[in-house]
Amino acid sequence: MFPVSMQEVRGKLLNGLEAAKLEQFVQDLKTKPDVAKAVNGPWRSRVEWQGGLKAKGYMRNHVASFDEPEGLGATDTAASAHEHILSAVGACMMTGFVFQATRNGIKIHNCEIALEGTFGSILNWAGLSDEDTPGYPEIKAKMYVKADATPETLERIWNEAWKRSVVTQTVAREVKVTPSFEAL
Amino acid sequence: MDSSLFPVTVVGSWPRPPWLIQALRKRQAGESSFEEFNAVADDAVLASVKQQEDAGVDIVSDGEQRRDNFYSFVVEKLDGIKLMTVAQLLDFVKDRASFEESLRALDVPAFAMKSPVAVGQVRARESLALDELKFLKEHTDRKTKIPLPGPYMLTRSSWFPGLSDNAYPEIEDLGREVSGILRSEVLALKEAGADFIQFDEPVLSQVVYGAEGAETFMCAALASRKDPTQELSYALELMNRTVQGISGIKLGVHVCRGNWSRKEDVLLKGNYGPLLPYLTEMKVDQLVLEFATPRAGELEVFKEYGDEKEIGLGVVNPRSPEVESSDLIEKRVREATKFFDQSKIYLNPDCGFGTFAERPVNDATTASAKLHSISMAAKRLRQRIAVAA
Repeated sequence: MFPVSMQEVRGKLLNGLEAAKLEQFVQDLKTKPDVAKAVNGPWRSRVEWQGGLKAKGYMRNHVASFDEPEGLGATDTAASAHEHILSAVGACMMTGFVFQATRNGIKIHNCEIALEGTFGSILNWAGLSDEDTPGYPEIKAKMYVKADATPETLERIWNEAWKRSVVTQTVAREVKVTPSFEAL
Repeated sequence: MDSSLFPVTVVGSWPRPPWLIQALRKRQAGESSFEEFNAVADDAVLASVKQQEDAGVDIVSDGEQRRDNFYSFVVEKLDGIKLMTVAQLLDFVKDRASFEESLRALDVPAFAMKSPVAVGQVRARESLALDELKFLKEHTDRKTKIPLPGPYMLTRSSWFPGLSDNAYPEIEDLGREVSGILRSEVLALKEAGADFIQFDEPVLSQVVYGAEGAETFMCAALASRKDPTQELSYALELMNRTVQGISGIKLGVHVCRGNWSRKEDVLLKGNYGPLLPYLTEMKVDQLVLEFATPRAGELEVFKEYGDEKEIGLGVVNPRSPEVESSDLIEKRVREATKFFDQSKIYLNPDCGFGTFAERPVNDATTASAKLHSISMAAKRLRQRIAVAA
């Protein structure tokens, strides 16, 4: 996939990405098994307890903080781990969308994903019941996008994006993911 | 027949054609100048005026075709004020959780909601609407209405803690600046021959009917609001400071309960009772209010206020696909005459048809048909009154 319009943006920035570099990466994945193997992983995180219900996750040279709401007796200094999951699902969907849109030479003006999940049963998590699941039985993810393409094209790319999203397809093995879409 | 009875007018905005939206997007992306955009908008204004005239509107607006929405357009005319999306404001919002609730309830992306934010000393670079009025007057012989953002609306939406307090430590400091700018604007528009200036203050309904702590895209800074009584008193003070002593031009204030969605259940609800003590103290001639939607409550609350002001009676819902019949509109007006002197009743839709450029609540064909229905009802009412006389 390398439409004519992409020729025009070779070496230029589109959606904040170097389109030519991105295309080279795709070609490398296609032709160089070592590259694909390296990108496949393993990917790692090390989580360190910070006292109370706080934790830090160290991933390569990055760090993410975790805490819990005050209702749990925690200090609410950071989002909960399960909230990070929502953000991770959304961010991964967005990565795929921007990646595919850029490869198609589509300029994105704005892009936003609103995610939501409700626990199956907090009683299960607390050890007070074995019914239902402590996790999110469903994650709703709605994308809003304003871009220079038809709503049909954008929706096609969106569907590709969430279906091929690493995080979405990781959690979707246990959770029903319900995506929806609106082009503005 | 007294043709001065039941003048038909609009609240302001008209749905923008797709080519105008494209031009607006280019302008907002910095890919065209305001002058280039205005050249495109001229055609849209002409089309909007023609449709209003053809529908029988007596007092026309330019359809707000040059504006992104009814208040954010000021960024093109004022220094020290910047248009920011709610997405950009998220880093500065204290209570993001309640902000998120509002976005969810409205089913809108944060990037689509924009607010002018004071980021420096606010100064008028040019008149807010003189260019609009001049063009409008050159192309119509009807009376003209110019909507302006109300002083409370503009102050509340523009003062944002963390962004505005360098230039204006307190919201009242910005309020004084804003009312001064709007006062100069009113005087300039009067001098240029405007017939009717309408201040839009829809955020007053958020103050009264919005949930405690809830914020709206329209007024991100409401998180820092005081109690409703104090806010309404402040709105009254700002309005009267803006218009004090000005005469020779019709001044109005418009309040509605939201016009950003066609889903009636996400819009605010409540009668005018809590607002009336303040609205009637404003030194304006007319209250331009919604009445077609049941969310506006019962007319009875006007019993003790009926004759204090002219009333811009909302007789059609700008968001519904159905065109209200002249019979229904006539019935609504007759009901209103129980509470208001008929000589003080103007007829208009509840709100604009395209408050937000990218989220019009109706198409131009339906909007035209609704206005036509209003003017037909006005004609019949005048005839009936003439016959009865």
